[in-house]
Amino acid sequence: MSMNRRDFLKVTAGTSGGLVLSLSLPGCAGIQTGYDEKRGEWKPDAWLELTADDRVYFTLARVEMGQGTYTGLTTLIAEELEVEPASIQPRFAPVAPEYRNPLYKLQLTGGSTSVATSWQPLRIAGASARIMLVNAAASVWSVSPGDCRAAEGRVVHPNGTDTLSYGRLVELAAKQSVPDDPGLKPRKEWKYIGKSRGRLDAEAKSTGSPIYGIDVDLEGMVYAVVTRPPRYGARVRSFDDTDVRKMAGVLDVFEIERGIAVVADKYWRARKAQDRLTVEWDNSEALDVSSDQVFSSYHKAADEDPGESERSEGDFDNAAENAERLVEAAYEQPYLAHATLEPMNATAWYRNNRIEVWAPTQAPDLGRIAAARVTDLSPDEVTIHTTFLGGGFGRRLTNDYIEEAAAVAFRVGKPVKLIWSREEDTRHDFYRPAMLHRMQASVSDGQLTGWHHQIVGPQILDWYVRNAAPAQYPWAPKFLYDTLGRVGLMAEGIATPKDHSAIEGAIEYPYRVPNLDIRHTHTDPGVPVSWWRSVGFSHNGFAVETFMDELAHELGQDPYQFRRSLIDHEPRHLEVLERAVRLARWEEPAAQGRARGLALFRSFGTYVAQVVEASVDSGEIRVHRVVCAVDCGQVVNPDIVRDQIEGGVIFGLTAALYGDITFKDGQVQQSNFHDYPLMRHDQRPEVVVDIVDSNEEPTGVGEPGVPPVIPALGNALFALTGKRQRRLPLKAQV
Amino acid sequence: MAVRLTVNGIKHTVEVESDTPLLWVIRDELGLKGSKFGCGKGLCGACTIHLNGQPVRSCSTPVEMADGGDVTTIEGLSSDGDLHPLQKAWVEHGVPQCGYCQSGQIMSAAHLLQHNPSPSREDIVAAVSGNLCRCGTYSRIVAAVESVVENQADHSSREEA
Repeated sequence: MSMNRRDFLKVTAGTSGGLVLSLSLPGCAGIQTGYDEKRGEWKPDAWLELTADDRVYFTLARVEMGQGTYTGLTTLIAEELEVEPASIQPRFAPVAPEYRNPLYKLQLTGGSTSVATSWQPLRIAGASARIMLVNAAASVWSVSPGDCRAAEGRVVHPNGTDTLSYGRLVELAAKQSVPDDPGLKPRKEWKYIGKSRGRLDAEAKSTGSPIYGIDVDLEGMVYAVVTRPPRYGARVRSFDDTDVRKMAGVLDVFEIERGIAVVADKYWRARKAQDRLTVEWDNSEALDVSSDQVFSSYHKAADEDPGESERSEGDFDNAAENAERLVEAAYEQPYLAHATLEPMNATAWYRNNRIEVWAPTQAPDLGRIAAARVTDLSPDEVTIHTTFLGGGFGRRLTNDYIEEAAAVAFRVGKPVKLIWSREEDTRHDFYRPAMLHRMQASVSDGQLTGWHHQIVGPQILDWYVRNAAPAQYPWAPKFLYDTLGRVGLMAEGIATPKDHSAIEGAIEYPYRVPNLDIRHTHTDPGVPVSWWRSVGFSHNGFAVETFMDELAHELGQDPYQFRRSLIDHEPRHLEVLERAVRLARWEEPAAQGRARGLALFRSFGTYVAQVVEASVDSGEIRVHRVVCAVDCGQVVNPDIVRDQIEGGVIFGLTAALYGDITFKDGQVQQSNFHDYPLMRHDQRPEVVVDIVDSNEEPTGVGEPGVPPVIPALGNALFALTGKRQRRLPLKAQV
Repeated sequence: MAVRLTVNGIKHTVEVESDTPLLWVIRDELGLKGSKFGCGKGLCGACTIHLNGQPVRSCSTPVEMADGGDVTTIEGLSSDGDLHPLQKAWVEHGVPQCGYCQSGQIMSAAHLLQHNPSPSREDIVAAVSGNLCRCGTYSRIVAAVESVVENQADHSSREEA
């Protein structure tokens, strides 16, 4: 890192006494816009590129991992540009400040934010370019732009017959002034938004096109596998590679930060050779927990530390003291793995003092930091090529696999593809944290008078800032990375000053209760954790909506009527609740041997109510039907909203029925799909999705289908068996 | 060993170790990336191909067991340059989300339809139940297969008429 870059960063003591970093941006990185005469290409902004031969490219700054950005965001820009979405060629964005997610100031895809944060900027970008094209055509024809219109990639003359294609106009359009305030089309004029149109990547994904990270193929490429310590945090004490090096095709064996890399000319040869490796681990700083200890340590922490107050209204203690009854429950939820079907992988190539990385990642700018961290290179000497992702669910926000591939490639000097086995993927995940929830409710005169929720467990940002903070300041010298990590994302006061990962979904408790006390007891057993589809909402949803169900039964009320009576001040909650109940015929008894359970939960701004119908048959829980009512504001593609909610239901049910990563003496006990099962075709319920027609701002749908289905199933099982399960995963017999 | 394989109608001889899983031969020696690595143990079905007309998990099939065999992968499912009816149905029904499991899903469904042109829903579910989908596209997979079955039934009844 050269001195001049270092000069951009000044560390000063802030008025609060904390470390404040003030930064001045060098003229770095930005995306070149304008007209390129040689190539006949016009880039009106960072997203669009129109060519003289009528091609339209769209730079997609949010990765495609199944959630539908490739189609949804392209639809947004197509609508205002007035071109058919299928005629646009999306390209995955390189790392650049223009492509950062404005909510995080990082270039990452997560938090169900893609449509919400792109809704305005992409439509404005499309409209601006269209106006400039229309103005260009009007000047050619010497007519008023207001008398022209755009349609299907052409500008139409006021006479209604003459047209000019966008390609013919790009050079002239580039010379038009950029409109200050391009008006956006009213809803009634939308051609593409709000319509169920096919996914633009469906054909590539149905024909086996090589589009994923694991499919990357480079001339002269070799393969790497890494032997990592069975216990997190262990280090290599020594290793014996004598037998490994005798194996056919083995090119090199060496230690990297996370273990021992075996490099061979073929993947299978690397795997076979890896079996011959013997490693002695230094476990002095290694994880040494077992799952039962995790929960006993949580209970101990909960006893000793009431936790930080996260929301307080009225006086819960007083309400509890004066209550007729105090209802209590504790819920235990386990660690969960992401289990993306495409295992972690990355391909890296170090040459000419630069490194190129091809990877399925949710955070390419953090990937750049990861590669720089383990090499002698600075972030701007790292290029990240993002591929399609074979599932993400939060796992690929952590770029440990890029770090490994870069470390290997830096030493090997050839293109190297690193592939994890399923066993490695299961055992070296960054897990959805195990959490304990202690609930108390005070009841008087048949009314709920107080709600107390103590959340016990770790915070995810503690694990995440290491690369996230430097990614915000990629020009910061590497010796400051750790400092940046510690001061975290607060540095500019712009991104997440508060870590909500443990408490989200609990602090937004929506029901009308006069005395509320919601607390977080921060305790971390040292198991690596990260974001997992719906994050804190996933466990808080279970705690809140299970306890609401328990209270309804305590008070002798119908679970629907009980919720309804406490939420009539929240119209959007109420609407989805009533729709789901109506659609599920809640008032009618379920079929013989079946029962229904209900949950209502808002996450990522989206309101979801679900009714699950389940039975227990031959010692197995059978989920028959899940009815979902969803309010996610204005909808870009109803078909994708439906598939995301249904996918969320399957994901949530998988956790509710099977999800359980356990530790014994610091080691993960699960390894593959036989002991970490996913829901299968023959287990899936019928899923019905009802979407509220709304004029509200759009909100995310990738995650909100997950949280309510878990308590809804638990509540159905209670209705069926009369036994309350307070620990996940749920069991057929208790 | 030198292994002889006919893959999507093309004859190949590849020099690999006999225990190499067929999947890696298809992907890395022959460059056909449509068959996916998911678990390495035949548990998820992402690597499903047809070997001598049978659906097999190529990730856990040593290549020596396929010597002299006839292999069809997702890339060779349709030989006439057009999409296979199942692939068309996958696009029309918007089946894929992340898409990673879909080659395997389609290959399992294709084998079913080759042997049973009018399967029941239970037959369809049974045929694809070994194929995991983490995104949860199951209902659309079944709907897409059923649409192909219905179209074929319509087609053959028209021909009969």
